Amino acid sequence: MDIEVKNLHPLEVRLLRHVDLGQDITAQRLVDELDYKIGQCNQAFSWLTAKGCIEEKSRDRYTLFELTETGAQQAVTGLPVEMIFASIRDEGPATLPQLASRLSLQQSDVGSAFGVLTSAKIARMDEEKKATLIADSLPREVLLQHDLIARAKASGVLYEKDLDDDEKAAISKLAKKRGASASTFKQVEKEDVTYVLTAKGAEVKQALLDANITGEEFGLLTPQMLQTGSWKNGTFRPYGLEAPVSRLIPGRTNAYADYLMWVKDKLVSLGFEEFDGPLVVNEFWNGDALFMPQFHSARDIHDVYYIKDPVHCRKIEEPWLSRVAATHENGGDTGSRGWGYTFDHEFTRRQVMRSQGTVLSATQLPHAKVPGKYFGIARCFRYDQVDATHGADFYQTEGIVVGEDVNLRNLLGLLKMFAEEVAGAEEVKYVPGYFPFTEPSIEVHIKHPVLGWFELGGSGIFRPEVTKALGLDVPVLAWGLGIDRMALMHLGLNDLRELFTPDIESVRMRRGN
Amino acid sequence: MPKIEVPEKLFFELCGRTYTDDEMNDIFPVAKAELDGHEDGTVKIELNDTNRPDLWSVAGVARALKTYETGVVPQYDFFSSKDRTMDSADRVHIDYDSCLGIRDFSISFAAEGCTVTEELLVNLIQSQEKLCQNFGRKRKTIAIGIFRSDLITYPIHYIGADPDKTSFVPLGMTEKLTLREILEKHPKGREYGAIISDKPRYPYLYDDKGETLSFSPIINSAHSGAVEVGDRNLFIDISGPILDDLLLAASILACDMADMGFRILPVKVKLAKDTKYGREITVPYRFQQDATCPVDFVEKELGERLSDQQCIDALRRMGIQASVKDGVITARCPEYRNDFLHAVDIVEDIMIGHGLSNFAPVLPAEFTKGSLSKAEEYSRKVKTLMVGMGFQEMMYNYLGSRKEYVDNMHIGDDKVVFIANPMSENYEVVRPSILPSLLESESVSGHAVYPHRIFELGKVCFKDDADNSGTVTRNSLGFLAADNQIGFNEASSYVNTLMYFLRIDYRLQPVEDDGRYIPGRAARVMCGDVEIGTYGEVHPQVLESWGCSMPAIMAEFDLDLMH
Repeated sequence: MDIEVKNLHPLEVRLLRHVDLGQDITAQRLVDELDYKIGQCNQAFSWLTAKGCIEEKSRDRYTLFELTETGAQQAVTGLPVEMIFASIRDEGPATLPQLASRLSLQQSDVGSAFGVLTSAKIARMDEEKKATLIADSLPREVLLQHDLIARAKASGVLYEKDLDDDEKAAISKLAKKRGASASTFKQVEKEDVTYVLTAKGAEVKQALLDANITGEEFGLLTPQMLQTGSWKNGTFRPYGLEAPVSRLIPGRTNAYADYLMWVKDKLVSLGFEEFDGPLVVNEFWNGDALFMPQFHSARDIHDVYYIKDPVHCRKIEEPWLSRVAATHENGGDTGSRGWGYTFDHEFTRRQVMRSQGTVLSATQLPHAKVPGKYFGIARCFRYDQVDATHGADFYQTEGIVVGEDVNLRNLLGLLKMFAEEVAGAEEVKYVPGYFPFTEPSIEVHIKHPVLGWFELGGSGIFRPEVTKALGLDVPVLAWGLGIDRMALMHLGLNDLRELFTPDIESVRMRRGN
Repeated sequence: MPKIEVPEKLFFELCGRTYTDDEMNDIFPVAKAELDGHEDGTVKIELNDTNRPDLWSVAGVARALKTYETGVVPQYDFFSSKDRTMDSADRVHIDYDSCLGIRDFSISFAAEGCTVTEELLVNLIQSQEKLCQNFGRKRKTIAIGIFRSDLITYPIHYIGADPDKTSFVPLGMTEKLTLREILEKHPKGREYGAIISDKPRYPYLYDDKGETLSFSPIINSAHSGAVEVGDRNLFIDISGPILDDLLLAASILACDMADMGFRILPVKVKLAKDTKYGREITVPYRFQQDATCPVDFVEKELGERLSDQQCIDALRRMGIQASVKDGVITARCPEYRNDFLHAVDIVEDIMIGHGLSNFAPVLPAEFTKGSLSKAEEYSRKVKTLMVGMGFQEMMYNYLGSRKEYVDNMHIGDDKVVFIANPMSENYEVVRPSILPSLLESESVSGHAVYPHRIFELGKVCFKDDADNSGTVTRNSLGFLAADNQIGFNEASSYVNTLMYFLRIDYRLQPVEDDGRYIPGRAARVMCGDVEIGTYGEVHPQVLESWGCSMPAIMAEFDLDLMH
């Protein structure tokens, strides 16, 4: 059986339990026996027919008459023709306007009622234009009508099939199908459908009996039921668990922000302290302090965004400016021979949009604790054509480890930990890399369960030209992780631009893996 | 990162063996190279080390791989040095005073004994291009000309010439042009002219018969500067302002050509000014000094004690001859490299030569305490409250257009930070506020079920004279709600709830002269005497500019002023 009986509505349940195979099921019967309203009958019939539990046996068309509000009043006051007859008889002849005012009737009603009396030769207009009786009883048709109104008032409706021909003729003069409010009766055409239980219906009925479902179970639990304790006297109707669910729009965090937050928490749990900094930086911190020669190709106008105003910052902090300048020119006291060019003191003050997260590491170095571990997720800006793999601005995840004795093997250990903890890597591979500010430099490639082999990040030991020039005479491990790719995978996206979409619906529906 | 395309056949010949793609993927990292593709007999290689121009050629990569695999350091016998001057026969190249301050140096060498094939020519031009473009900063510091030496009569002369009185037929053209005309009319003149256009004289190279070699760094002459397949004898000129860069470029090209079968013929160059190598220098010239690195330092950096011999062996695989005395490694920098700035550069070569896989990862031992920044902690607290009030968190780009951040907001631009070199007008302004980002969302999200309640916690940046940079970056909260019926009261409820839970006592002052809000329906949120934010009903002129059709309220707070 494909019907879950506990999902049936109480109207269905009670109907099924009430009827037997072979019995006629009509609305009237349900009204009489189960106290259903007509509307409830129709609901039950339509649901059960759809489920194949009952089927139509026959249809019966008939006409009935209902008293209108006008008719209900006439049942008390009598028809206008009766009122006029009584008035003339009891209070003497009168003109039609007099009659209308005597009886508080519409002039037109008085006119048509008087017409009925004259054509039946019961009244006439005398010389003074006064209505005068010429017989002492009303016409038979009016009497019949009076009787019909009284019957209708008693039983609610009159069925056409219960009326004889005279009665039919009498009532037709008082009834209208539409716009009947001024008439006595509304004529209604009706169709009664008779249903019978199907074999399937009988089966469902048996299942209901077996499951002891009566249809009298409670629906909503109300405060009243709790107050009175009435809930103790019955059982609760089980609801259809698979019913369609209406949409809820919750307040929610952004799925990409959730991912970044997860990465931050992970790094904090590994002992890293978060750092941050401004979006507008100068060439000094964006490149010079990182020992990138001022003529380095990545510092070109086609790689970095310049600020229109102010073009330069006012000053660079000393002693860092002098120390970094000397390091570029001849190595200063860093043990390097430097780049061997003349450091440009104006260029170094030029302001740019931060192009690499390593800026944060550089600015941290003069203040770094030893030992110390730092990280930042920094918004960076590159002069790139915006497409699926390049954003005008994007996040970089960067950090440093400062310690008297940190070395290459520690760097590899750190990368392995990131690969496993942050990226869920199955295998890790290290290859020599190149960054202007680290030596040695290492790239870490990982085998991700979904993405396969890819470069997770770059790292290295900061060059002494970077650390010593900034007053730190201990090794510093520097690392950066490209987590965008994992973020995209985490969110089921394949276009970097989607991470910052303004589309509300798309952000509402987005979820991480 | 330079990328090169090399013919598989030539590459494998120079390597002395063939490689499968997997083998290339495994071995390439020793040269900081990546296999970028391999099809139709062409191997595409990406080179990551921008400080190793010797690797940007087929011969250079092959040399690094071959040396690594065989452990045999290549030897070149044509180099002069401060202790040894090679025979230059009648090959003399003279730089004159008139080039000083224009483009100080021009040096050269010659090569013979190998027939130029199509394949060889393409690779030679590729090496030349990479050196000029990447290492030579688009010919600014290095320009290389290759000539048919059969057509040249020594000595060669390099002068600063009168741009209007010197003329020749440039390569790729048929008529004679003056140097100034070349800058205007020749495609290379237009491309590279800016390097020298403002100088009183232009660099000019010619031979002893007065035949033009080139207008360096722009274009060769059509006469001797058109090298063709079948040529056997070549002359290579290199010009620029930094002598060491020119010597290195000459050494790289000479070694590459020697590897490909040429015999290198030194040229004696008489310089126009004194240099640390004297006034006269025979090119190719080994100018690099030996570098040193204590063995202890290797251990400190790498975290592993390597024996003296292990260090020497590792360096040899990287093409470096080394010795150890009294615990100090002395490494002889190969002629084609100049990247030993510091002892750490030796350490890296030892690391690669020894094999990265031979170093076992170990975690740093020292304990450190992790923590989030105060700003992050505070913004998480605010985020929880916003989400609780039914708002959806958004994240936006920080660069946008003037239309979005200024015009549509009906505000002035005096506080706004503009990009001087925007790639497009879509990304020419740093956002001064989160509000335009939220309104953009509203403008593109008419299809999303209402009500809309969105917020972002992010950074904004605007001008501020008080800061050294004249700008300031702040952590900000912006939120917006849009619905059929929404107004100031609802906005007040959000603000009040937020302030209550953030324990901020605030009072309101009317907002005046702010085109973003409906006058009389917006407030400045004051904490003491400090304005920490504003909120109110979005002005219909703003909604209209954004194309939004639903009434909205919005608010923005400076979080850095609140905690």
